[in-house]
Amino acid sequence: MIDPSWISGLGVILFGIGLLGAFTRKNAIIVLMCIELMLNAANLNFVAAASHYGDVDGWVFTAIAIAIAAAEVAIGLAILLSLYSTQETISLDEANILRN
Amino acid sequence: MGETKNEYRLLLPLLPFLAIVPFLSLQGDNNSTDFAWLIVVAPFVAFPIILIVGQVYNKNETWKNSFKEGGILGLAALLVSLSTTIWILYDYLIGNADINNNDVVSWLEWISFDILQADYTMAQNRVLGVGVWIDSLSLMLLFVATFLCFLICWFAIGYMTTDPINEDSNHRFFAEFVLFSLGMFGMVLADNFLWLFIFWEVMGLCSYLLIGFYYWKESAAYAAKKAFLTTRVGDVFLMVGLLILYDIYGSLDFAVVFDDPSTGVGGVLVDSGQLFWALMMLFIGAVGKSAQFPLHVWLPDAMEGPTPVSALIHAATMVNAGLYLVARLMPFVDVHHHGVSGLEDFGLIVAWIGGITAFMAASIAFVQNDIKKVLAYSTMSQLAYIFTGLGSALYFLNIDEYYAGYFVLGASLFHLFNHAMAKGMLFMASGSVIHEVHHAHDHLHHGSDDGHHDFDPQDMRNMGGLASKLPVTATAMMFGSMSIIGIPLIGGFWSKEGIIAKTWTAYFEGETLMLGPAILILATAGMTGFYMSRMWFMTFAGEPKSDVVDHVHETTPWIKEPLIILTIITAISGFVLAVLGIVDFLSNKTDDLSLHGKSLTDKIIYELEHAFLPDDMKVRMVGWLTILLSFIVGPIMASRVHGGSLKEGEKANLFVGWLVKLSGKFGKQDVSWLSESQLAEALDKRLYFDDLYEGILARTVIPFADFTAWFDRNIVDGIIKQIESKSVLGSFEVRKFTTGSAGDYILMATVGVICIFVLLMGVSF
Repeated sequence: MIDPSWISGLGVILFGIGLLGAFTRKNAIIVLMCIELMLNAANLNFVAAASHYGDVDGWVFTAIAIAIAAAEVAIGLAILLSLYSTQETISLDEANILRN
Repeated sequence: MGETKNEYRLLLPLLPFLAIVPFLSLQGDNNSTDFAWLIVVAPFVAFPIILIVGQVYNKNETWKNSFKEGGILGLAALLVSLSTTIWILYDYLIGNADINNNDVVSWLEWISFDILQADYTMAQNRVLGVGVWIDSLSLMLLFVATFLCFLICWFAIGYMTTDPINEDSNHRFFAEFVLFSLGMFGMVLADNFLWLFIFWEVMGLCSYLLIGFYYWKESAAYAAKKAFLTTRVGDVFLMVGLLILYDIYGSLDFAVVFDDPSTGVGGVLVDSGQLFWALMMLFIGAVGKSAQFPLHVWLPDAMEGPTPVSALIHAATMVNAGLYLVARLMPFVDVHHHGVSGLEDFGLIVAWIGGITAFMAASIAFVQNDIKKVLAYSTMSQLAYIFTGLGSALYFLNIDEYYAGYFVLGASLFHLFNHAMAKGMLFMASGSVIHEVHHAHDHLHHGSDDGHHDFDPQDMRNMGGLASKLPVTATAMMFGSMSIIGIPLIGGFWSKEGIIAKTWTAYFEGETLMLGPAILILATAGMTGFYMSRMWFMTFAGEPKSDVVDHVHETTPWIKEPLIILTIITAISGFVLAVLGIVDFLSNKTDDLSLHGKSLTDKIIYELEHAFLPDDMKVRMVGWLTILLSFIVGPIMASRVHGGSLKEGEKANLFVGWLVKLSGKFGKQDVSWLSESQLAEALDKRLYFDDLYEGILARTVIPFADFTAWFDRNIVDGIIKQIESKSVLGSFEVRKFTTGSAGDYILMATVGVICIFVLLMGVSF
């Protein structure tokens, strides 16, 4: 049995990568992927805690979080599609008509 | 007169409304008081219908001709009210077992709360319910109001729909008319002081709207404002009075308050000083509404309204509201029946206000040339008589002379009845005169702009010799004036005699302060004889004073019938009702008083004896002096100045012909020197009261208003504007955070989440 702190550490690293990617990358699809990465980092923590305490709640939460993430990706991709069809770009630097 | 016949066919839709009440009364054992709500609800339903339908069909010919722009609807609603009233009155008079004195029917607990008592049980406290209070006083006033509202609405159909100056806005008139009627009926029926006050205010609003009916005329708008604001002064005091009453009795229900006025809430003995101020405040409210000194200034200006409004508000209904309120206060002072002693001063104040107003208004009426203004001042003066009578009644009841007290209370209310009938008719007759003179003038100068715009159809100096042209109106006005003057055996004589005699009795029995009102109303009796005769002679007797008179005809339909009905009532009701014992009936204490159980002949002899030959020698002298002044001196002086027979070839009818002829027999007197004196000018300026009030207002209220306007503009609005402009500037700064770049938003969200975590950890540690 691996110590759950290792798994949590992996989660933190994954979360950090995701966060950094979300800040720095200009491509909207990459940013979306980074967000997924952060969600999965959280899921990893849930699963680790669940197996450590022998409690089923964590797995249930994970299942729900995955379902939500899927829905979110569907919406996100739809937004990106319509963004591309109107602005002909998916670069976040150029999609800034809501500023000020 | 095929056209006229057609007009009355419009009354056919009224038949189903006439049938409602007989249907209800014949249907099993319905109690009439259970349907008293119909009196108020019928006009309440008619009001929006007339207003909305009138707005929709404004220019429609059918609406205009066959519904008289809503007049027929109003008439129908008032017919329901009138017939319900008669039903209740009938039940009351035959002594129906279900109605006894002070019957209260309560339908609804409108506002009530539960109170935690000292022993930790809950008790329900009825603060305000909806119900009716029926006794002889409210029934009498209810009958007067419904009956006159009905007749005046009838009259208004003829008057307003042929009025040349208000095209297409008569639905507004009729809607406001029925709303006003509703206010009056509701006020009379109310079973507690708060409802009374609410309906009182409804009337105030409608009087404002109706006086300002010709709102495009500057004088009418001014008069409406003046009437509204002047009565509002009284109403504020009235409200304070109600608060004090609530403080004393813990309720405003008549049933609770009048049950035992000497003990207040929680069984405490009522302090007469506190009650005195409550009653005084209520009285000031009544003074405002009934146009008594010093709040009388609005009534003459209110004549700017259409004539039916003058008849309605200033004779029949609204001005009587104040009298009704004061008459309602009797149980407070009636020491024989649980009243509070030590309130004689209140009665004296009421009597003094009445005496002063009576004399002042009568003297101003001497110099008025506008026919409606004469009637307005006459109204003030006669209402003041009733106030004097009520003051004496309050006084007598408070010193435990309840026989005299109830007698003069009954006489005052009887005078209210006589005056309302006579004055309602006089106003309608004056409306007839004005209307026909105006039409004759329009006819004569049709289409020519020859400087006749300054012609005033209300000015009696343009009239004269109308007795042969307007026979019905002249007869009506003669009987009405006789009733107001108090010519023996007609109308107001019976009641006025009682008021004057009892006021003097109070003086003779040792209350020296009563001498003032007593002398003032005695003098006013003679002055009434003069100014009412002057008005009649100036209008109907003598040679015509302008060329318009020859073209005057009594042709407008709808106008004559109310006049004829009221002429008959005015002429005979005084005698008939006096013999039938209305004075005892109105004072609501039928068992104790004089006429109980006598035969009809005995009653007639008793009444005549009491009117002409009272036992007390001094009172008898006063009575004969009143008759001498009002019947002989006043009219003869008036006929010497203004009387005279008609032009050659003109013949007046049987009723008024003798009077016209007689008026020329006393010779002529020239009084032009008098009309140039300073006194005449002072009277013409209404004794400078209006100037005084305006001066005071200009010194006090207007600077204050200017100051508040400045304060509002610069301080209140200034602060708001500062906040507004500063926040606009702030929002420009805040907008810079929305960069439009997704990365920045994610950064902000992250920082925000971290902050929340830090805060949460701070809290949990």
